[in-house]
Amino acid sequence: MSTEGRSAEPVRRLVGTVGRLVVFFWSIILLLIAPPNWIPLAVGTWLGVAVLFHPAALRVPFRRRWMLLFGFLIVANLFWVGEPDWNLWGLAVSSEGLMIGLQMVLRAVVVLVAVEGFSNSVDIAEVAGLLERFGLEGLGFSMGVAVNLLPFLRQSSLNAWRSLRMKGGLRRQRWRGLRLLLVNIIGNALCRADEVVLSAEVRAFSPDRSRIILLEIGAFDWLILTVGISSLLALILVR
Amino acid sequence: MKFNTRELVTLGVFGALWGAVELAFGSILHVMKVPMAGVILTAIGLAIAMIGRLFVCRPGATLFIGIIAALLKLFSLGGVVIWPLLGIVIEALLAEVVLSALRKPSQGAFTMAGAIGVLWTFVHPFVMHGLIMGSGILTVWLRTLDQGSQVLGIDPSAVLWLILALIGLRLGIGAAAGLLAWSVGRSVYARLGRPER
Repeated sequence: MSTEGRSAEPVRRLVGTVGRLVVFFWSIILLLIAPPNWIPLAVGTWLGVAVLFHPAALRVPFRRRWMLLFGFLIVANLFWVGEPDWNLWGLAVSSEGLMIGLQMVLRAVVVLVAVEGFSNSVDIAEVAGLLERFGLEGLGFSMGVAVNLLPFLRQSSLNAWRSLRMKGGLRRQRWRGLRLLLVNIIGNALCRADEVVLSAEVRAFSPDRSRIILLEIGAFDWLILTVGISSLLALILVR
Repeated sequence: MKFNTRELVTLGVFGALWGAVELAFGSILHVMKVPMAGVILTAIGLAIAMIGRLFVCRPGATLFIGIIAALLKLFSLGGVVIWPLLGIVIEALLAEVVLSALRKPSQGAFTMAGAIGVLWTFVHPFVMHGLIMGSGILTVWLRTLDQGSQVLGIDPSAVLWLILALIGLRLGIGAAAGLLAWSVGRSVYARLGRPER
């Protein structure tokens, strides 16, 4: 193959959309099915995977609000869950509560990092493309329409609300006012939709002949899928 | 589910409307700690999706609108959006099942679809927080009773009445959303000069 031919090939990443989706679901399911005494091992395994796939997302649980929430979870369980069997600076606390609190925090950390890592690495268009393959044909096109309509809807809703407010707002006949507001907003949105349909049809767009959103398939995606499924099956059998 | 261009655009419009409501009011209602914020958002969202169903009267349309709204929710400024996102899809799916089972759009079908869709907001915390997040069913149960007694002013010891009131309230709000959707949908139909359903 010539150098020109090679450069024309699409650059394949090692991990594609399918691989990242598998890692996301694997992380959530792993914690769902891991028995309490296996959680440290499950979290250790997951940590290795998280460092490998989305190390930047590991910073999220260290944000102040999450640290506060985790601290609150541990303290609440320490004092109010289980029988007090331990003395901490003169306060009666429960070791069982501490363990439950830690487990809750570990689960929350895994879910947080998995969601952050997935949403940062996978584009919405790719998710729509993936759903199209599961029978939701045209979802990518509808998503495009929806995203482009958001600023229009905001402005149109504001205009409708302002004109209603100039006529007295919702001070009297609230139910009727609310209905009129909704009718106005939806009516305007549908008029706009007519324009979108016209311009799509003028350009000879047809959902049957539309371009399929390409999914990025990484070199290791099938390996990740196989390892992910088999490790979860093994955990179900062993536990 | 195969839709033509006009149907896809219409579904996109209604998905955008539900998504806009979630994006605009979702975070605000939760930050302001408005009681039953999830119920209010679900009722509005389902009402929009059901109006959409009047304009694209085909099986799968309500679910399609819900999926678009859920994907738009990914733009949300809030932290973890995966649980509300799943909630939106499940609520749309429940409404879809009812509307598809009853086939012809009618006031009764809309009322029932709204009520059942909004009822999911009662089950949602038990499944998502209790089972998946690991808080435990009991913790969620106690929190539900606590919040319910604060909102409704019923003594927490009257568990049965409290739970029935919480379920009844959701069914009522959902049914009202269905009625509103039917009434607004028909008005929009008339306003756009289309034959009345």
